[in-house]
Amino acid sequence: MKHLRSFRLRIALLSAALAGTTLVGFGAISWFQIYNAKISRLDSELLNQLLRANRPPELGKEPPRPEFLPAGLGTNTKMPFALLVLNAEGKTVYEFNSLSADTEVKNLLVKRLELAPAPPDIPRQRRPVIFGTNQPGQPPPRPTPPQFFTEHTAKETWRIGALKFPNSQVAVAVSLQPVNQEMASIRYIFLVLIPGALLLVAAGAWFVSGGALRPIHELTDVIQRVTVQGLDQRIPTETTDLEFVELIQVFNQMLERLERSFTQASRFSADAAHELKTPLTILQGELERSLQQVEPGSDVQQRLSNLLDEVHRLSTIMRKLLLLSLADAGKMGLYLVDVNMSELLWEMIEDVELLAPQLNLQTDIPDNLRVKGDRDLLMQVLQNLLSNAIKYNFADGWIKIHAHQTQKTLKITVTNSSKDILPSDRDRLFERFYRGDPARTRKVEGIGLGLSLAREIVRAHRGELALDSVTSGQTGFTLTLPSASS
Amino acid sequence: MNVLFVEDEAKIANFVRAGLKEQGFVVDYCDNGDEGYLRAIDNEYDAIILDIMVPGKDGLSILKQLRREGRNAPVILLTARNELDDRLAGLNLGADDYIAKPFFVEELAARIHAVVRRSGGDRQNLLTVGSIKLDRITREVTCNQRAIELTSREFNLLEYLMRSPGRVFTRTQILEHIWGYDFNPNTNVVDVCIQRIRKKIEPIDETNWIESIRGVGYRFRKPENPS
Repeated sequence: MKHLRSFRLRIALLSAALAGTTLVGFGAISWFQIYNAKISRLDSELLNQLLRANRPPELGKEPPRPEFLPAGLGTNTKMPFALLVLNAEGKTVYEFNSLSADTEVKNLLVKRLELAPAPPDIPRQRRPVIFGTNQPGQPPPRPTPPQFFTEHTAKETWRIGALKFPNSQVAVAVSLQPVNQEMASIRYIFLVLIPGALLLVAAGAWFVSGGALRPIHELTDVIQRVTVQGLDQRIPTETTDLEFVELIQVFNQMLERLERSFTQASRFSADAAHELKTPLTILQGELERSLQQVEPGSDVQQRLSNLLDEVHRLSTIMRKLLLLSLADAGKMGLYLVDVNMSELLWEMIEDVELLAPQLNLQTDIPDNLRVKGDRDLLMQVLQNLLSNAIKYNFADGWIKIHAHQTQKTLKITVTNSSKDILPSDRDRLFERFYRGDPARTRKVEGIGLGLSLAREIVRAHRGELALDSVTSGQTGFTLTLPSASS
Repeated sequence: MNVLFVEDEAKIANFVRAGLKEQGFVVDYCDNGDEGYLRAIDNEYDAIILDIMVPGKDGLSILKQLRREGRNAPVILLTARNELDDRLAGLNLGADDYIAKPFFVEELAARIHAVVRRSGGDRQNLLTVGSIKLDRITREVTCNQRAIELTSREFNLLEYLMRSPGRVFTRTQILEHIWGYDFNPNTNVVDVCIQRIRKKIEPIDETNWIESIRGVGYRFRKPENPS
């Protein structure tokens, strides 16, 4: 069923089905027409035979032998033939059966003779009238034309006709076997030709529809190339068939709208972040100034300090959003310098020891790990990983930091003891503003931008940040960056 | 120290001027680029703070023209934009530093000190407050002539507080300045670090040099008789 979802296959099959129906219908009608023609020719020949057989046998001569029949029927096959001539009293005058083994046929002939209509009245002159001889003046009365029937014996199918003459009764039967054979061979020809023709039609439709679908494939290729950074792709319409031009135009227009709204959206967050900077600077500055002017330790100072913290939080979110919008637009600016990651890691580890002295810290960091990168941004990534390792740890848990550099890559793995992350959370961990269950209760601070931003930063460095595979009781992240030399 | 400050946003200008004056700077202020440029060539400033987007001549043009005329006063660019291209353009034109909004006046002051020091205008690599002496170059700290061993975080924190004795710093300010901005504001890393510094100073000098301000943060005590 799934295969029938192919438009191309469906076109081929439908064409074949349509052609098949037509051919089968045509074949059936032709077959019947040919059969009927043959049978009526046979019937008229049988009538001839009946009339001839009525001629009384000349002395010492037998009635005409029926061998001529096949010629008369236009076939080279010898047709089995049976003839029965009775006199007016019903006594057998002559009897012939080319299939001597088939005795049933005689019964059929007798039966047909009994059913045959009575002959016309004999004219007064009591001269015998011989059919087939022209006697001027008085045409002999013609018997009612016989009806012909198809009858079956055990061995054969016969076409039988019977006619009563005033002086005799004649019944003739001819086997339909040759006719049936011919019809069978015609049927075989049809049986071979029709499927062959259908295969040809299906193959033809397959190739033709393939050609017709080429613009669709081109469209697919272009759609595949459409990414956030490739929204400027357009499909040329000049070389395409007229029927597809509209579709492509509509698609191009859709891309244009998409590009416009995406640019707008990404510029919007960047512009919004820029616009927020000035009021935030003012707020921050004024609050900070007021903080210095009031009584140290007073309630007012505490409140001002809280406000300042909130402003600080706001500007942190804003800074992250700006970075994310730049990343989305593929324009995250990196101030690339040679960074000694070992030193950076040790600096961070000093903080971990300050922040969480109860945690068991295990490190495996070779000296002089170097990458080309933006020092501030990479520091942010490491800070994020380490502060997460502290946040989502057990009270007496552990953190392992392992770094390893090869010619091509630098891998840093930060693993910590933790509750298992729910499978549903694992997939969403890098989503913006997403916070796993323990965090959502706000017991643990954060806004849920850290990991997504960290991943964007790493990607801008042509690296990758990934959650390690599940190991019960621990969580690990692996940061992979291209080595400075590569 | 004598600085020129060019900024068109009056509210920003207000607190920056006030903040810098509190830190002992003499601030010459103007709100448009053309005037800013004229003042820069008429006077000898220790440092010039330029907002990039000001009416008249913009910050980058002023900087370009000053450098072309051979004026080497340290310049700090101030802007809402922080993209790499802007940073590079400014630095390539000869800016000494670059600070993005929003910023703390404290940080601006620190950067002014740094650029002035680098340009050779500030010989004061030695900070002395009360019994504590801090050498920014050798990164040595002594208290009553006895050396104190500090980690790099502890050194940076002490320097940050000592640069403005008497000034109150919130934990968040300290976090942002010393640890960068991604640390959770509710962390107690600042307190832990301060405790460690105190523990290293106390055996030598019993004065509580780093004061806790309840519900706010910390400040470095102003000596009664500044040395």
